[in-house]
Amino acid sequence: MRARTFLIGVGKAVAVCVILLWSLVPIAFIVMSSLKPGADIFAVPPKYVFQPTFQHYAELWSRWGVFFQGLLNSTVITAGATALAVVASTCAGYVYSRNSSRFLNASVLSLIIVRLIPPIVVTLPLFPTVNALKLNDTHIVLMVLYATFFVSLGTVLMRTFIDQIPRELDEAAEIDGAGRLTILRRVIVPLASPGILAVAVFVVVFAWNEFLFAFIFTATRAKTAPLVISEMLGSIDGVDWGILFAASTVQLAPVLLFVIFMNRYLVAGLTAGATKG
Amino acid sequence: MSNKPYATISRRAFLGSAAGAAALLATRPSWAAGKTLNVLSHKVHQTVLGADDGDLMKDWKAANDAEISWTTFDSNPLQDRLFREASLSETDYGVGYLIDNRPTSDIAALFEPLDDYLKKDGIEDFDDIAPGLVQGMTVDGKMIGIPVRHATQGLFYNEELLEEAGISAPPTTLEELMEQAKKATFKSKAGTPVVGMVLASDLAVFPVMFARAFGGDFITQNFELVPDLAAMEEGLNALRGMFEAGALPRSYATTKNDDQVTWMQQGRAAFTVLPFARNGQLNNPEQSKFPGKIKAIEFPISAALKGKMPMASVVEAWGMVIPKNAKDKELAWKFIKEVSSKRATLGMAINGNGPVRVSTYAEKDFVAKNPVAEVEAGVLAHARGAFPPFPEAARAQSTLLEEVQLAVLGRKPVKEAVASIIERVKPMMPA
Amino acid sequence: MRSRSIASLVPLLAPVHILILSVIVLPSIYVIWLSLNASSFGQEPIFVGLRNYIDTISDPAFRSALWNTVVLVVVAVHVELLIGLGMALLFASGLPFRRVLLVAVLAPYAVSEVIAVVMWRFLFDPDVGPVTQALLSFGLPTLDWSFEPSHAMILIALLTIWLHLPFTFIILYAARLAIPADLYEAARIDGATPWQAFRRVTLPLLGPAVIVALLFRYIFAFRIFSEVWLLTQGGPARSTEVVAVYLYQEAFSYNAFGSAAATAWIMVLASLLLASGYVFILRRQVAANAR
Repeated sequence: MRARTFLIGVGKAVAVCVILLWSLVPIAFIVMSSLKPGADIFAVPPKYVFQPTFQHYAELWSRWGVFFQGLLNSTVITAGATALAVVASTCAGYVYSRNSSRFLNASVLSLIIVRLIPPIVVTLPLFPTVNALKLNDTHIVLMVLYATFFVSLGTVLMRTFIDQIPRELDEAAEIDGAGRLTILRRVIVPLASPGILAVAVFVVVFAWNEFLFAFIFTATRAKTAPLVISEMLGSIDGVDWGILFAASTVQLAPVLLFVIFMNRYLVAGLTAGATKG
Repeated sequence: MSNKPYATISRRAFLGSAAGAAALLATRPSWAAGKTLNVLSHKVHQTVLGADDGDLMKDWKAANDAEISWTTFDSNPLQDRLFREASLSETDYGVGYLIDNRPTSDIAALFEPLDDYLKKDGIEDFDDIAPGLVQGMTVDGKMIGIPVRHATQGLFYNEELLEEAGISAPPTTLEELMEQAKKATFKSKAGTPVVGMVLASDLAVFPVMFARAFGGDFITQNFELVPDLAAMEEGLNALRGMFEAGALPRSYATTKNDDQVTWMQQGRAAFTVLPFARNGQLNNPEQSKFPGKIKAIEFPISAALKGKMPMASVVEAWGMVIPKNAKDKELAWKFIKEVSSKRATLGMAINGNGPVRVSTYAEKDFVAKNPVAEVEAGVLAHARGAFPPFPEAARAQSTLLEEVQLAVLGRKPVKEAVASIIERVKPMMPA
Repeated sequence: MRSRSIASLVPLLAPVHILILSVIVLPSIYVIWLSLNASSFGQEPIFVGLRNYIDTISDPAFRSALWNTVVLVVVAVHVELLIGLGMALLFASGLPFRRVLLVAVLAPYAVSEVIAVVMWRFLFDPDVGPVTQALLSFGLPTLDWSFEPSHAMILIALLTIWLHLPFTFIILYAARLAIPADLYEAARIDGATPWQAFRRVTLPLLGPAVIVALLFRYIFAFRIFSEVWLLTQGGPARSTEVVAVYLYQEAFSYNAFGSAAATAWIMVLASLLLASGYVFILRRQVAANAR
């Protein structure tokens, strides 16, 4: 029995090592490259021992100020899109979970089917429309677009998670005189928090790294970080890999921090849910 | 930046604050006193005009009480965005930067013809601007753009690696180049595997250069498709031969433009074909392992044609255009005029731009800053675009590249590939 | 008694449907019309009927792109599902430093595709890449991806799994954690082996989440673009092209908007067929769940 536990332990350790290597090696390379002197980044044979330098970060700051502006825009847009997507998805998910009818079932399917359309072609008519509405190069247009492309998944996910909350709780609250919105706020949201956080993570990551819509609908004021990074890759006067990797590392950091931060709530929310009968 | 959807937000509260935020963000701020010219370009066009004390447009801005607002993108996205903006009912952009292989008749119609502007408020010494480049910006008899930048292809080689391989002087004919490339495929003293030549496979530039070295072409300025079949076959055979001998990288099919620069900097290749303007980057001590050792010469023509005709290297040029639906065209023209002046052209050249004026190449300041200026001037005199613009040009280029890749990788015999190119591209040619 | 009419539910459903209607549905109607025309910059659209559709379907490059896409999607998504499931169960069974590990697992999802490809290209460089060198030193076969199309497809599959595994993992893990611990207690008391507990408790309760994960992963994977475009550009000689790359070329490289629109609709049809199996199962669940 002890041997078996030991083997399981070893198996787990190996699995964990593989997972860590698999997930982190490319990222480690990106971060390392941002600290390597320019000539060493793609050196052949690859250099693992080098003199670290912050020069690329300094140059990023002095030569590519527009990048930090982009980060700010990305932050605003991501926050707005996530809030919008989460709220809309939770409300709709709640309805779909607690009610059913042929009409409602059909509308859930329509949500999914609609997502099969490639976003690229949707931009063709949207560009002149957005311009006509004078919404080009604003933060709000991207917030709306990003949220729209995640409400399908968000709604279905929230429905799945809310399904696991017993209806008795709804009914108990209703007996106490609570209206639908109150039930949503006081009963559903706290218990469905793992689902909400999962949806939030998806939207945040998508909005933070999204390129196509940002490129089509913004110019200067709402320019996001991925656009600036793609400019850095533009090959007219050459790519400065050091600055590029420095920018990539900086761009990676906030989302990672977000994941670390929400991690705590995810686990707490789930254990709270699990102890309920 | 933390997002806590876990908090209890009532929908009403959210909608309320969202509406307020929306109102704030959706309205456009009114412009400060004076005018603003919105320019749509690549970042490099902005940087070569300098900034702060080195701002070449400082006096112009003061004299016209105008600010310049730059919207920059990478090359292909930039062109796409420019055409989208020009297709709207009206656009905020006054000036756009256009690449010379894009304006077909339809696209040219989106931009303001500039001949009248030139007559009324002319550009300083207009004839000084390379006529070939001006021609490239003239479509259907109308000049729609003023050239502002060019990039001409040259042959770069690594002096040190050539020496190691036992080659004392760079090649003077194409056949010599092929020999030297094969010879320079070895393992260097530093332990790096070196290939003779590194070329990207996603640009028509390179097969076209090789075809031209044998006196042929892909598509001429008069829209003739592969005028010299034998020359095209010889060009592709040269590439195929180098690949077979290992003088082209095995990863040829997935090599990109930037890889060419990186490989040269790291000493993984002895030769490459790149715009002369890359000279600085290739020899930059902060990025390159061979600063000062990478030199540039004209791409050599084949031995049979040497001395009989000049090598027509590939050149790509940018021009400044005014969208027809722009609001303040007068201001846009004033900008173009100023940027095209001799003073500004020299200033941009010193900042690393490829100057469109012939006279700039004689300027001492520029020649001192740019060691390959003289070579470049010589090449530019006979250079022309990879192919002329026409509606299916992009598709024709893709087809060419597909067949070239098949031929070079040995998946298709060269003769068959060339026949295939002609067969597939013929229906795409303009009537 | 509260009214359960559909009308009272509308305000809660409204945000989602207004967004989808205005941003996706209405423009899509325009795109249907566009697909029946030939259109480009600076030209007025010319009606061509179904020619765009016929041209696209009869283009051998499109058919091979479609085949590549289907193979890639089916293989990558299922492999990802298995790995994601395994990892979710591993984490649920208790691990030290779970929080740190969780961050590590989710990290690839945070990296932008563009940067990830740049790094993977270098790591797997056939001559000098660190991973290639490591594989060689262990005597393992390497990926000759810049020359062999099949090797390139494998690398693309690996890359897309690397980027999107966290997505699948989050859904499965959150669902796994939502299964009440008492059920496992009860199973243990009843003398169930871990395998039986997995089959009788975990799998059925994870079912809905698995279906959702699979369905949406299919939808996203069918549109795979950056991994292919930035790694091989569909080469060598278009042998690794996928439908999204084909669509991109039509729309952005050739500016053939009508053709691009037709390609998009063919993609919708193809991905609908592919996903239909899962949608059917989802429908049965929707009906079953409505108590």
